Amino acid sequence: MAALIDLNHICKVYGSGNTEVRALWDVSLTIDPGEYCAIMGPSGSGKSTAMNVIGCLDKPTSGDYYLDGENVATLEESTLAHVRNRKIGFVFQQFHLLPQLTAIENVSLPMVYAGVSAADRQARATEALERVGLAERLQNRPNQLSGGQQQRVAIARAIVNQPLLLLADEPTGALDSQTTQDVMAIFDELNQAGITVVMVTHEAEVARLSRRVIWFGDGQVLHNNLAPEELGHVASMV
Amino acid sequence: MDLSESLKMAVKTLTANKLRSSLTMLGIIIGNASVIAMVGIGEGAQRFVNDQLQSLGPNVLFIAPGNRETRELGGLDIPKTLVVADATAIAQQVPAVVAVAPENTTRGLVTFRNRNTNTSIVGTSPDFPKVRSFEVAQGRFLSDLDLRRSAQVVVLGATLAERLFENDLPLGQQVRIQGTSFEVIGVMATKGSNLGLDYDDAVLIPITTLSRRIVGRTSPYGIEVSFISVSAIDQASMSTAEFQITNLLRLRHNITGEDDFFIQSQDTLLTIANTITGALTLMLAAIASISLLVGGIGIMNIMLVSVRERTQEIGLRKAIGASQQDILVQFMIEAVILSVAGGTVGTALGLSGIILVSALSPFEAGVSVAAIAIAVTVSGGIGLFFGVFPARQAARLDPIVALRSA
Repeated sequence: MAALIDLNHICKVYGSGNTEVRALWDVSLTIDPGEYCAIMGPSGSGKSTAMNVIGCLDKPTSGDYYLDGENVATLEESTLAHVRNRKIGFVFQQFHLLPQLTAIENVSLPMVYAGVSAADRQARATEALERVGLAERLQNRPNQLSGGQQQRVAIARAIVNQPLLLLADEPTGALDSQTTQDVMAIFDELNQAGITVVMVTHEAEVARLSRRVIWFGDGQVLHNNLAPEELGHVASMV
Repeated sequence: MDLSESLKMAVKTLTANKLRSSLTMLGIIIGNASVIAMVGIGEGAQRFVNDQLQSLGPNVLFIAPGNRETRELGGLDIPKTLVVADATAIAQQVPAVVAVAPENTTRGLVTFRNRNTNTSIVGTSPDFPKVRSFEVAQGRFLSDLDLRRSAQVVVLGATLAERLFENDLPLGQQVRIQGTSFEVIGVMATKGSNLGLDYDDAVLIPITTLSRRIVGRTSPYGIEVSFISVSAIDQASMSTAEFQITNLLRLRHNITGEDDFFIQSQDTLLTIANTITGALTLMLAAIASISLLVGGIGIMNIMLVSVRERTQEIGLRKAIGASQQDILVQFMIEAVILSVAGGTVGTALGLSGIILVSALSPFEAGVSVAAIAIAVTVSGGIGLFFGVFPARQAARLDPIVALRSA
């Protein structure tokens, strides 16, 4: 089976000369369709940069990145926007819902950029919100929702364009332990349904719910394929 | 993303922040209102002047003494080189002319019983109403006989007649002009002022009588006139008439060098007046445009603040698939909506200002549809122009940086 994510000798360097920062250095990594990975590592290890590159938000300085068989490292901005829109769903720590829009309008937003008709948007957004258990909250604005509910709206928004890949950046960072469990349950469900899930987290108990842990340090992959059970061992090691 | 979606989104954003949106529009509203009002008032003034000149009468030529140089030196001491005999000669010898009216004007006291008024005393000839499109309301106008006899008869302007006689009937009454007794033989219909003289508030007497009894002086060459108005047969014969009159007067005045008279047609007066009022309108519009420009800068300012404030939103939109172009279009549309809405409200305001001015001033101010269309288009253009810079800033934001910003 062809890999969904295939990073080949990816380097990401900021600045030059004395101030040069090697955020990623010669990172090669493959993630197959249907995987459920957690990216971990201390701050400054390059895990966020890796996330941005995987999410097509950032271009690598060198190296090739094949997403779903397409080399996206060389694509121009507008094409990358299209790739993000169709193949990737994002979930952020701060939810990033637009405050002036209702839940259903927030969820519809990616479809607006995909050119889906208004009627289809309505139906698909409703379906996505039902999937995350918010069928009753379609017309609520973000300030009328709890943190957990807001994050579920954000997840609905991430999956509404049926992406291949769900990218979550510290998705539980702003949530308490109960809502963390709820959100992780949704991720697990989505992964069972076939969506590849990659999340960056620094919480070991969250990472343990994934099936594969990738450990970053100093801009490189230190452990490519840790079983979540081994996590305690590595965490003490760093 | 198609345009109607962008429009809906922009309206949503703008209405979410009503106070700011309306304050931003205020600059454009004021700018556009002042442009419309100024252009309207300018056009109104232009129309007013045109009407005035048109009321002088069709196919009219004016012959005035002096050349360009002497006129430029100052109006008071222009040598009155034209005489009544010139007017008579034109009437008799120029075939392209149908009527000739010499005019000489002075000011003096007109008295009826115990009422008196200081007013213009115009000496002229029987052709005056014909040439200048005046009408007699009561009685009759001056006749050739009155002129030959230097009769002491007077025709009153409408306003003056009302002021002097109030409820009395003026016809047949005696009035004193500068101490000399005159019989009222007619009253003119209302006409309105023209050529800087309000004929409604004047008395008309035979030019010969004016010279002998009122001014009390005749030049060795004949009876002086301030100007001669001449009516040509029709529009087409205007230039023929001008040519023939010029030749005749040169001959009569023995001119070999520069003319001591000049001829102006209503057309040239119209052209001059239009040039002046046109320049005036343009100047008013230019001043008003500055406020429109300031309004545009206001929009740019607010849009820049808006881009700052909505950095996270822009980052999020980019992350979920908005291209640079989508973001650019979104912010441009917001700017254009602000300026077009402001332009529309401003136009309405400007139009009400024009209606107000029309109600309060003598001239009918009005603004052409073209001027309104231009004003609204220009304000839309201002939105585009001043929206480009903030929109580009928004479009170029790095999504990662934008999402991280607090």
